[in-house]
Amino acid sequence: MDSTKKLDKKTLSKSFNLWFWGALTCFSQEHMQTFGYMASMLPILKKLYPKHEDQVNAIHAYTAFFNTNPMLGSVIVGITASMEEARANGKGIDGETINDMRAGLMGPIAGIGDSLIDGTLIPILLGIALGMSSGGSPVGAIFYIVVWVLLAYFGQRFLYFRGYKLGDKAVEFLVGEQGAAVRRAIGTVGAMVVGGVLASWVNVTTSLKLYNSNGKVFLNLQNQLDSIFPGLLTVLITIFCWWLMSKKHVSAIWTMLILVAISFVGVLVGFFNPGLSY
Amino acid sequence: MTINWFQAAILGLFACLCSNSCMAGQAVGNYTIGRPLVGGLVCGLVLGDLKLGIACGVAMQLVYIALVTPGGTVSADVRAISYIGIPLAMVAISSRGMNPLGTSAANLAKSVGTLVGTVGTVLYYAVATMNLVWQSFGWKDVEKGRLQNLYGVNFGWPWVSHLIFSFVPTMLLTHFGASAVTALRNALPMDGIPMKTLFTVGGMLPCVGIAILLRQIVNKPMDFVPFLVGFTFCASLKLNLVSVTIVSLLFAAIMYEVQMAESKKVVVSASAGDDDDDEEEEDI
Repeated sequence: MDSTKKLDKKTLSKSFNLWFWGALTCFSQEHMQTFGYMASMLPILKKLYPKHEDQVNAIHAYTAFFNTNPMLGSVIVGITASMEEARANGKGIDGETINDMRAGLMGPIAGIGDSLIDGTLIPILLGIALGMSSGGSPVGAIFYIVVWVLLAYFGQRFLYFRGYKLGDKAVEFLVGEQGAAVRRAIGTVGAMVVGGVLASWVNVTTSLKLYNSNGKVFLNLQNQLDSIFPGLLTVLITIFCWWLMSKKHVSAIWTMLILVAISFVGVLVGFFNPGLSY
Repeated sequence: MTINWFQAAILGLFACLCSNSCMAGQAVGNYTIGRPLVGGLVCGLVLGDLKLGIACGVAMQLVYIALVTPGGTVSADVRAISYIGIPLAMVAISSRGMNPLGTSAANLAKSVGTLVGTVGTVLYYAVATMNLVWQSFGWKDVEKGRLQNLYGVNFGWPWVSHLIFSFVPTMLLTHFGASAVTALRNALPMDGIPMKTLFTVGGMLPCVGIAILLRQIVNKPMDFVPFLVGFTFCASLKLNLVSVTIVSLLFAAIMYEVQMAESKKVVVSASAGDDDDDEEEEDI
């Protein structure tokens, strides 16, 4: 008698869809994606454990805090689906193994996801879309909706099923040496594109000009800075913000308030002037 | 331009769908409906001025092009930017009779959007805090074994948080805020110190977003190099982003090979052999 339990495609799809639509619906600062995770594991537990008490026991592997990049994070849900299947078949996996795997993956996946999706893919898509919409045309917005939603849905679906197929072998790949090398490589792409995004869309300039006694400009600071390195002020402000947040542990909100203070003083002394009027 | 109750209610619904802990899911809600560019499209359709809506959306999207929420900390709230800020900016621009595609209209949109977006983070934390109530229901359900109820905890109850902190504020602020915005603009002239400061800050705010991303990428000073190279490609050589991505793939490929060669060297020197396990790894 073959009593091996196997998850069918329908159950896995249901679990994936619950994650796709519900990873962050019941979000709180304290538990973040924990409830989204539990909800997406329910169909799997119901399929694997006919007895209600076994389901209740099994859910306790997923009550620990969970938070990651929800896009790439679907690979983790897929991996746990496969590990849960192994647990149900008595393959020497317990709740703690599953929990350790989740806890070990959520950090690296969040790091890759934020730089790859939020820092690279989305700015590129938005960059293209903004160009298409710059004359007030809806084409760019529609382009972004269609391309991103299709990419997000099928990309996450692919990752989920990939995670399920590879199971804990995926962990080895994601946090092993090869994973580290891939992360470094992706980090390079992310860093370069983020630099490009900064240069393309952000432009901090000074309006400081010094006049000689005849009223002629003898120092146009922005021109001088541009001849040294175009965009110098933009880079400096960004690195300053990075320094505040990562070295001085200032929160994003306070960093913004510091920028407000800098702008205010800058406007008062004539260093900044957006040059607007009605 | 005025915003009637019906229009305000539609905007309120979209606010529920898109804000973090978004009822339409992260990819469709926060990352699609919540983007100012998409918000501009929706607001344009709802308020009946598509061109102006898109123009405001484009302007605000520029500020928030690299918006991330690492570890659930937000510096700006997408519901406030896209479904409170954009409608108010549209009213302000049209009530002044400005050219919707002009620079000053865009800057006005940016200043309204960033202000509302920053203040709107209050709504984000309010929803997240209220969800703790539903989660406490959830923990009881887990304890008592009522697993079926978890669906309600995750997909049903949070609507109440959003009704109170997304739907109602958006509806009230867009309906009544329209006249307030006009009054505020009269009180604060564009060439006064407060507005100049606001615009200057608006220009710098994306730096914070980028810096948040950098915090994830940069661990040691050397990590700044690829960032600065990417910046130089765009700022000095005027490449576009797709081109920069392609160049960066070359560096990524080299980086991968170097890392793999290094880790192999360690393996070989430690215990020779076992290095034939690299198949099809580049399909991320």
